[in-house]
Parts: sequence; structure tokens; C-alpha cells
Amino acid sequence: MEIGPIFRALLRNRTGAILIAVQIAFTLTVVLNAAVMINEQVSKAGRPSGLNEADTFHMQSEAIDTINPQVTINNDLRAIRETPGVANALQMNTIPLSNGGWSTGVRVQQGDDPPVYSAAMYMVDDQAIDTMQLKLIAGENFAASDVVWRKPDESGWPGRVIITKALAKSLFPDDSPETTVGRAILLGESPANIIGIVDQLQAPWTQSSQIESSVMVPQQFQTGSPRYLIRAEPGQRDRLMPEIEAQLAERERGRMIRNLYSMDEVRRRSYNLETGLAMILGFVMVVLLLITGLGILGLASLSVRRRIKQIGIRRALGASTRDVLRYFLIENLLITSSGVVLGAIMAVAFNIALVNAMNFPKIEWYGVPLGMVVLVLLGQLAVWGPARQACGVSPATATRTV
Amino acid sequence: MLDMKGIARIYQTDLVRTHALRDLTLTVNEGDFTAVVGPSGSGKTTFLNIAGLLEDFDEGSYLLDGENVAGLNDRQRSKLRNEKIGFIFQGFNLIPDLNVFDNVDVPLRYRGFPAAERKRRIEEQLERFGLTGRIRHFPSQLSGGQQQRVAIARALAGDPRFLLADEPTGNLDSASASGVLDLLEGLHTSGTTIIMVTHDPALAARAPSSIHLQDGRVVGNDEAAA
Repeated sequence: MEIGPIFRALLRNRTGAILIAVQIAFTLTVVLNAAVMINEQVSKAGRPSGLNEADTFHMQSEAIDTINPQVTINNDLRAIRETPGVANALQMNTIPLSNGGWSTGVRVQQGDDPPVYSAAMYMVDDQAIDTMQLKLIAGENFAASDVVWRKPDESGWPGRVIITKALAKSLFPDDSPETTVGRAILLGESPANIIGIVDQLQAPWTQSSQIESSVMVPQQFQTGSPRYLIRAEPGQRDRLMPEIEAQLAERERGRMIRNLYSMDEVRRRSYNLETGLAMILGFVMVVLLLITGLGILGLASLSVRRRIKQIGIRRALGASTRDVLRYFLIENLLITSSGVVLGAIMAVAFNIALVNAMNFPKIEWYGVPLGMVVLVLLGQLAVWGPARQACGVSPATATRTV
Repeated sequence: MLDMKGIARIYQTDLVRTHALRDLTLTVNEGDFTAVVGPSGSGKTTFLNIAGLLEDFDEGSYLLDGENVAGLNDRQRSKLRNEKIGFIFQGFNLIPDLNVFDNVDVPLRYRGFPAAERKRRIEEQLERFGLTGRIRHFPSQLSGGQQQRVAIARALAGDPRFLLADEPTGNLDSASASGVLDLLEGLHTSGTTIIMVTHDPALAARAPSSIHLQDGRVVGNDEAAA
């Protein structure tokens, strides 16, 4: 290996090499931290909500003048549930991931000044667990007789609730889900008993740090603008969406059907920012890698052109085309290696600063070596063309005087 | 040692076909010091390139140290060049980014010698040519004569079967040129085979034998009395 002479020769012409090494270091710093952020955003946008989103959609009925909302809602639900292809349906006060809804402070009843946890409040009936396909991990579902109507001006909450596992863990950190069932809590100032725990049901607010804290209460909201969440049999959702929209509009003329969205669409809209940010950062990463690759290519091309005579001399002295190729690959390896080592230090330091300053996600342990390998491979790829060009230099170049 | 028979080299463009060498037959034996002379365009450089395996030929045969060089691939040619031939170029052709030590080291690395062996050979040659004090100098820090001595040291470090010198004094002042010629004569006396290409008849006269080229053909041989 001729690393020593190549390194010493590089030191004699270090300006270009240093510039490329610094560019590689900068690229690695940005790419690694951008990758962490992309990963964070993509993970956030892809995290499960707890319900079967693939087959579920929702819509809202908006009546100008409803005489008896209870009748309308019951009739609507009955009609929807009887529609072929519908697995189940329920009325909800708000839709998961929709970024709008109700919340209240939840705390345990015992103890002095217990911590209060903000939780989303879902008013549902006894069909909620089946409709959303939630996983009940302890306790029981609501009975049909638990479900009561809630008037718009009414306050307070029912005494039987189902909460999520995450909220249960916050409230009773030492209890298992099974032992949490039956415990007493306060919803605002309303006392309630936990009758069941579901594995997951995210709150509507995708940016909330308490997104996993939700409470289901057995209530149906008496409103002229009810929201229905409908789960179709697998593969039936897209057919049913316009069909049920038309059916509801037909059943009670004078009302509008609004906000007809699949849960996939709800998720897409809710995580637009995260998806957009990930795409922009991804674009920046690609451009940066491209620019770095072109920089290496440019430097290598210039280096080959500048050293045509020198390559000819080396060939005359016994270098095979493979030796020439290896020379340029090793030279590039030295430049990129110094760049990636500097870049790894810079990336980690920058990441630590970001973590401390703004709760930025940490680079995974494998991120740094992976990034280093990618940039070294990029360097080798970029230098391949010029190195092959150098291999084409005839050894007879050594005897040319011009 | 170097046996060429009927060598022809033709450069072909769309419009012009140039015979750089025609039917060149030449033998150089072990221990010879032969000058190849001729005016500009006579084919000296083409001969040098073919003899040094820097360029291929179109017709004829060439045996180098008994080995037929026709049909060798790049790797085989490079190996043969590295092991059998030491080059001394008109413009010295030292690599400007490498110091004296590393310049002499270049062919030895391609030869695959271990580090200790390379170091021994380099130091031996540099001492032989009075360059020990210049070992870490770069070519730009040396005089023309010193550079050519480094080039000769580099050419000899691998113990080649013969030296191929291309106008070895062409870029030197008269004092340095005389010094380099003295060196070559000394090398010849010690048994080194040398082929020197030059356009200078006075320089060629220092070689015991010479071959005259014109228009790509051998037009005469001189053999000096020993």
C-alpha cells in the first residue's frame, strides 16, 4: 500500500483536498442530523393510533334545523349499521387524529394534590371498541345501558370510564392494567370508576405530548351536527363512503353531509407538516450529497488533468492500470476519511447541542458509522470515473516533452 | 538481451499514414552501451517507446531478455518494464509532489519489495550518487544535475537489466551534462547495459557503439574501437 507517499503528496497540494474534506464533514453533519429528524418525523407520522384506520372513515351530518337529534342519530346509526359492507359504526364527539376535540384534567381521587394529566374525552357508545377495533386489555366494555345522552349545555362526566393503558400508567404507575380496573379517578371534578383499559387510543391532537392519554365515556352527544365513525368490511371502504353519504342525505333532506374523509386521509392531513418537513429535509440531503459527489468528481478530474504527465511517468516506471486506479481510489479514501472523521465529530457535537437546546432526537448508535460508510462509498463512486480516465493515460506520455 | 527484428510502427489518421519505424532490426547485448542517434523525426522516440514497452509495435518481433513481448497484457508489460528497464528521461521526470526518497521509491513499490528492502536500496543508490543530504528535498529544491542523478538512482534502484536513457543531458548545462555522462560511462564500465537515445552526435560519440536512424530506418552502425 502506498498510503504514506500519497498522503505526503496530498499535503503538498492540500487546498483542494482540505476544501473537499470540509465539505464532506459539513455534509455528514447536516445529513446525519437531517436523517435523525426525518426518521423522527416519519415515525411520528406513521405511529399507530390504536384504531383500524385502513377500513374506517367518518362524516358529519349538518342539519339546519333538527327537531329531535336523538331520533336522527339513532336512525342514522341504525341505517348505517344495516348497510351491507358496514362492519360497525358509532357516533363520536370527535375523531382521533383530527386535531380538534375535547379534553379534561384527570387525576386520582386519593392523595394530597395529585398530579393532573390532560386527556382526550371521547363520548362513545357500547359499539366503540368494536367499531374502532380497539384492544381491551383489562376490565370490560360499556353495556348498552351505560350509555346516556349528553345535552350541549350539560357539564360533568359519567361515573364509568374506559381509559388508555398510557393514561393508566401515568395515574397508577405501580399498578398493572388489571389492578387499575376499579380504581377511582376524577375527570375534572366528576368522580368516575375505571371499568376497562384499552391498549391504545390516541387523542385527536397529533402535536400533543399527551397523545396517548384518552378517556372514553358512555355518552352520546345530543347535537344537530353528529359525527359518525364507520368501519367497513375489508375492501369496502371506498365503495361505502359515497354510498352512505348519499344515503344519509336522502334519508333526511335539508341537511348537509360534510367532512367525509377516510382515516387515511385524516392521518395524511394531520401529519402534513411532518411529511412535508421530511420531504424537504430529504431533498436537502440528496442535494447536499449530490453537490459533495460532484465536488469530489470535480477535484478528481482536475487532479487527473493536472497530473497526466505524472501518471505517464508512473506507468513508465511500472505502474499497471490497476495501480493507477488504486492510487486515485486511495487518495480519495484519504480525503473522504479525514472528512468523515471530522464530520462524525461535528455531527455528534451538533446533535448534542440540539438535544440540549430543543429536545432534538439523538443520533442512533449506528447512524454515525453508517453515514461515514455512505460518504466514503459516495467518494469512491465519484472518483471512479476520473480514476478510470487516469488509467487511460499511456506510459508513452512520460517521453513526451510537451 | 534486446533483440528486435523487422519492427514497424505506423501511425494512422484519417488522412495520413506515417511510418515511424520501418523494418528495424537491432540487437543489444549484455554490457553494451549503445547510442541511438538521428535527426528529429527519425524515429528515435518511437524506438525508445517500443524498446521501453511504453508503446506497442505493428510488425516484427521483439525479445526482451529472451521474452517475446508481443501479446503481453498491460499487467505483464508493466511488470516487465518495472523489473527489466530503468528509465532516464530528458526532463528528469521526477514526481514534483514527492521528495527524493519517495521518488526513488516509486518503481520499488510497484515491484512489491518489502519496506526494509526498499529503504536499503534507496539509501544505497542515493549514497552512490552523493544525494544522501538531499533525501527529504523535493525536486524543485534541487539543481538540474541533482535531479538527473536522482532519476538515475531511481532507474538503478530496482537492478534493471538495462538503462534506457532519453537525451539524458538535454536539459542540463555543460558541467552537469558532463557529470551525468561520466556517471553513465562509470555505470557501463561496471557492467550496466545502456541504450541512449540522442540527437547529439558528440554525445553519441561517448558511447562505444551507435545506431543511426533516419526516416524510421537504421541507416548505419558504428562500433568504436575498444
